[in-house]
Amino acid sequence: MTQTPEQVWEVFHQSARGEPHVHVGSVHATDADTAVLMAKEQFARRLACVNIWVVPSDAITETPYEDADMFEHGTDKSYREAFGYETTKRAKAVGDAAEL
Amino acid sequence: MNPAIIDLLYRLADDGLIIGHRNSEWTGLGPILEEDIAFSSVAQDKMGHALAIYNLLHELGEPAPDQLAFFRDAAEFRNCSLVALECFSETDAASTPSLRNNPTRDRLVSHGDWSLALVRQFFFSEADSVRFNALANSTFEPLAILVRKFRGEIKYHTLHGRTMMRRLPAATLEGRSRIQKAVDTLWPHALGLFEPTRYDKQLSDAGICPGESVLCEQWRSEVEPILRETGVHIPTTAAPVYGGRAGKHLTEMVSLLSDMQKVARMDPDAKW
Repeated sequence: MTQTPEQVWEVFHQSARGEPHVHVGSVHATDADTAVLMAKEQFARRLACVNIWVVPSDAITETPYEDADMFEHGTDKSYREAFGYETTKRAKAVGDAAEL
Repeated sequence: MNPAIIDLLYRLADDGLIIGHRNSEWTGLGPILEEDIAFSSVAQDKMGHALAIYNLLHELGEPAPDQLAFFRDAAEFRNCSLVALECFSETDAASTPSLRNNPTRDRLVSHGDWSLALVRQFFFSEADSVRFNALANSTFEPLAILVRKFRGEIKYHTLHGRTMMRRLPAATLEGRSRIQKAVDTLWPHALGLFEPTRYDKQLSDAGICPGESVLCEQWRSEVEPILRETGVHIPTTAAPVYGGRAGKHLTEMVSLLSDMQKVARMDPDAKW
């Protein structure tokens, strides 16, 4: 009989079927089932939710912040960005109107 | 209206209100933040079920929900003893150092036993699950429609209870001994959830609600394997604690009501 140490679980929340799971925060729990149990009340009691993922924080590999410069563009790469397209502009206009 | 149905509705709603109140006493005092929030949510769910059933009673000609919750005396309540029990271990219950102005909270802070609250919620959720599953097919349609809406919440309550009960006794010796002690203390009261009433036969013959003895057997067949699985001993000789369904309560029910109803009774005409 050993006491399982508590660990941190990252919580991902899905608002409707087909939507992406979005990271919403974390919970403390000793195992995956308990993490789901806790995540449900911490993050789905107000938001609409159909599905929750929990992932041990340890399972995540991250980039160091000192390497953040590798995400910067050394030269103009604006041709990669999608904001120039007419469809993007129309979608943005519709989105802005919906928010009002 | 059929007095058997009225009695059934009072039993359901009063159980929900009283366990909701007891569980809400732990808000802010839970063992970890996440569990504190989860347990408080379960308390809110039960308050919600109680309110919905009080509303149904009101539609059937009974007084309004606030009247029923705040202006009835203990003898008029039909809840079982399990839901009203205070979560203090027996040896500690006597001393009450006053920390703030809420004596119940003070005692929970200094002497409260989380294992009692947790095991009670496990026993109660399993009973809710058995009972509401049956009532979902009740011939009394307004109740059947109502309890079908509770299903998702009850599912979470049983998931919560089962997850905790499967882990805590298996985690440490202290966990096992505290859960065992709570089971021993609460078992007679848990059996009292299924106190027979004089309306049992009438309700069951009419297809409104199965008899309490039938529900009790179903409850035992759900609960006992879970306890055995984690090595918790089931008290076989314990006699059920009855009386609540007839309005005969232990003294805890009186002190609970004096806490819960205090503010409303200070000014009955106040508008909230």
